[in-house]
Amino acid sequence: MTSKKKKTITIILSVIAILIAAGAFYGYKEYNRKQKDISDLSAHFTLNSNVLITDFTKDEKASNLKYLDKVIAVDGILKAIDKDDKGNFTLVIGDTASTSSVRCSMDSIHNTEATNVKEGSFINVKGVCTGYTADELGLGSDVILNRSCIIKKQ
Amino acid sequence: MKKVFFVLSMLFIATITNAQDKFFTKTGKVSFDATATKSPENITGVNKSTTMVLDTKDGNMQFLILMKGFEFERALMQEHFHENYVETSKFPKADFKGSITNNATVNYTKDGVYNVAVKGKLTIHGVTKDVETTGKITVKGGKISAFANFSILLADYNVSIPSLVADKVAKNAKISVDCSLELLKR
Repeated sequence: MTSKKKKTITIILSVIAILIAAGAFYGYKEYNRKQKDISDLSAHFTLNSNVLITDFTKDEKASNLKYLDKVIAVDGILKAIDKDDKGNFTLVIGDTASTSSVRCSMDSIHNTEATNVKEGSFINVKGVCTGYTADELGLGSDVILNRSCIIKKQ
Repeated sequence: MKKVFFVLSMLFIATITNAQDKFFTKTGKVSFDATATKSPENITGVNKSTTMVLDTKDGNMQFLILMKGFEFERALMQEHFHENYVETSKFPKADFKGSITNNATVNYTKDGVYNVAVKGKLTIHGVTKDVETTGKITVKGGKISAFANFSILLADYNVSIPSLVADKVAKNAKISVDCSLELLKR
């Protein structure tokens, strides 16, 4: 084997080795990837809670296509703070006279932010839209935002 | 006149008792576990915004789950669940409509743990199947909670697992339900 040939083989082998290592590294990173912190994500839509509710009430199918999986920032009156038996908070935003609301289930790392807000105040919340439950059970209709956090005012 | 008054007051009482019969939650927890013995890690997801209504008078119950609300620890697993397996954009809702078949044995006004049998129809991924399971109703200081564990065959709901990972994902997914209910005021 000439030394030139040897050199070519070495180069090819090292390129393959680098590619495999890069692939393995990418695979490892991808496998261990965590959800991104919602507070670092910018909102696809910024709107009032009533507008979001009206959109879903008018046309659930179209709104599902438009809003599902999207990060949505809503503002509105905080109607209630729901705390479940496991300590998870849900902020209920909307018109106090209406049974419809935007229910924002707090992200676990932002959960305690819910203790800093007061019922009746005007708040801004960001979360991922998971859908709409129409008022079929007599409980009012709700748009649900998951992994929510409170948007801090600048 | 007396009769009319009697009927009216009876009706009034009936409405009141009726209002005391229904319990609900909008923050019920439903978890999903498809961990197989050969899985390299736990395949578990949880939904914390499940709606449930229970009518204590006849034992009828209904669950509504927004599938997009299922969260997994690993982002990749969550994406696979939503995009490849349960196709939650196409089928954003799952529901269960059923009843407690031995509702008469549950005393909702007395503290205790009651074993119940539940029967109903479960819809996931656009497919509806009959489901039967046992569960527990606990009554403690006027608070009612509902628990159940059962498993479903993923293939029953047309959820197909690619053959490449077929032995890493359980064919039967375990579903557990944990709901603390409150009185539905009208």
